[in-house]
Amino acid sequence: MSSVRHVRGFDIAKPLSIFTMVGVMLPLILLPLASIFIYGTSSGLDKFWQALIAPEAIFALQLSLVTSFWATLFNVIFGLFAAYVLTKYKFWGSNALTVIISLPTAIPTAVAGFSLLLLWGPYGLLGRFTDQYFHIMFTAFAIILANIFVTFPLAFGVIKPVFETMSQSLEEASATMGATRWQTFWHVTLPSLRGAIVTGALLTFARAIGEFGSTILVSGNLASRTQTAPLYIFAKFNEGQVEAANAIAIVLALFSFFIFSVLFFAQSWLDKK
Amino acid sequence: MNIAASFTDISKKFGETSILEDINFDVSEGEIVVLLGASGSGKTTILRIIAGLENCNTGKVILHGKDVTELPARERGVGVIFQNYALFPQMTVEKNIGYGLKLRKKSKNEINKKVDELIELVHLEEHRQKYPSQLSGGQQQRVAIARALAYNPEILLFDEPFSALDAQIRQKLRREIRHLLKQINVPAIFITHDQEEALEIGDRIAVLNQGKIEQIGTPFDVYNKPSTEYVATFLGTANLILGVVNNGVFEAENIDLKLTDDLFFKNGQSVKLIFRPEDVFLRHPENLTQNYQKLIDGWIEEISFVGAFERITVRINFKNGQLITFTRPKTETENFPLQIRQKLEIGLVRFRIIPNFPLTHERSAKVY
Repeated sequence: MSSVRHVRGFDIAKPLSIFTMVGVMLPLILLPLASIFIYGTSSGLDKFWQALIAPEAIFALQLSLVTSFWATLFNVIFGLFAAYVLTKYKFWGSNALTVIISLPTAIPTAVAGFSLLLLWGPYGLLGRFTDQYFHIMFTAFAIILANIFVTFPLAFGVIKPVFETMSQSLEEASATMGATRWQTFWHVTLPSLRGAIVTGALLTFARAIGEFGSTILVSGNLASRTQTAPLYIFAKFNEGQVEAANAIAIVLALFSFFIFSVLFFAQSWLDKK
Repeated sequence: MNIAASFTDISKKFGETSILEDINFDVSEGEIVVLLGASGSGKTTILRIIAGLENCNTGKVILHGKDVTELPARERGVGVIFQNYALFPQMTVEKNIGYGLKLRKKSKNEINKKVDELIELVHLEEHRQKYPSQLSGGQQQRVAIARALAYNPEILLFDEPFSALDAQIRQKLRREIRHLLKQINVPAIFITHDQEEALEIGDRIAVLNQGKIEQIGTPFDVYNKPSTEYVATFLGTANLILGVVNNGVFEAENIDLKLTDDLFFKNGQSVKLIFRPEDVFLRHPENLTQNYQKLIDGWIEEISFVGAFERITVRINFKNGQLITFTRPKTETENFPLQIRQKLEIGLVRFRIIPNFPLTHERSAKVY
């Protein structure tokens, strides 16, 4: 940096580096995002609205929200529990378990969906025995299972480091003051994790609602039955109904934008208290 | 005096390593006992055993006549002030203080009343709605104490409570806390590695070394009548001279010092003479009246000015040319200036003879 000229306190490096950064981001990130808004509204807001309230579109959005909700609920609770167990107790294989929990991040989502099919599908490892009683694949349950699989490490990954840095003396203080383990967890441990839980939940939800690769394999992609919002976009685009696809794309994009804004601003607020 | 807590024959091992051996001491009602020791001396382990956060292998923890050795921490009713205070960050000062009562299912009114009372006691009136992160170290400590007092603890345990604070605040808080503890008359155990802190805050001090109590006594006794070399050197500076006892006289090369008390040594027993730098007396014609015994002659090696007093290193008239140090107050340094290589006659106002165990482990049964 010292080689850069400073002319009367003006540092040319500052505008130059900002300009370069935005210049790189423009074609790669900003323009693609902008184009869905530009295209989606180019034939009028009325058309956009019509595409949005089409029954199939509404169903797809609802299904995405509901399945993502259940997957998030499960993964936050389990992630919290797993983080508690793995920080509290050191046992043979605990490191291996930590790695396994984190594994789904590294597995391609298509592989995740495929492996679920191989397990629960009509001819799957377990599916061949259970399929005569109940179906899992090609239902909303399959979508939830796929969502759980691909978002498994997210909440855990956010919560565990907070657990690790949490001072053990807080829990010990609570115990000496007369609290049972459960009371300590409820009054002391959990409030300290509030920020991590909210962050973990939002990350999981944002990831689950956009899940495509695994969902398309396990859901069957049946309109108004097992078609989630991303699948709807894909299906409508294939049918040549670009406006319909675009309307949902806008909703999903706005939704992620909203979630990440909340994450960004809520984090500092939650961590403070 | 009523015994508030007693600890008998407590020992603790981690595998083969002995952490604590035969710890025995009592705390009277309203008494402050300081466990003083270097890191690794086992003082924190004792505290954790009393609090129920750790188990002991043998021994008993008795609080107000009740054997609590087998009880978990939450049933012991002990108040612990942790090193980092361990205040609950999501609770306000009020909530922190009321937590113990809430756990005890007290009514809202009762909790509020007690919390008000305690907030007043520790002077945190304008901070009651604040969160711990908004308080200074000293204020946090007061919250920690109030929080522990809320449920009328059997005993208060302080785990190095001043170590996170500045030296200046430390001194002030020591006095405040001692004053507070005397006011509320709750028995307390302090652990610290700071000898000055121990001397100032304790009614009695137990000096720990390698998992054993070397000596327990009043600050005056532990400082002035150390029973082991470790205690003598841990609590401030001490000069040591090796010698033998014969017929009540300490003998070493050119030294013959008449013993005034503790005449239970055998003739010819190897002993050590211990005296503190401030107990050395220089003979001047002007103040011959002071009661002292001549020790030996020596030559000044070094004089250094250390603020409130002067520290002087003297080579005594020994074949091995041993050095001793002593200090003089300002009044004396001004009236009787000394020079390097000046010859002096050294006298002792107070000294102590202890049996000579050259190595620590010869004293304890166990070799580490």
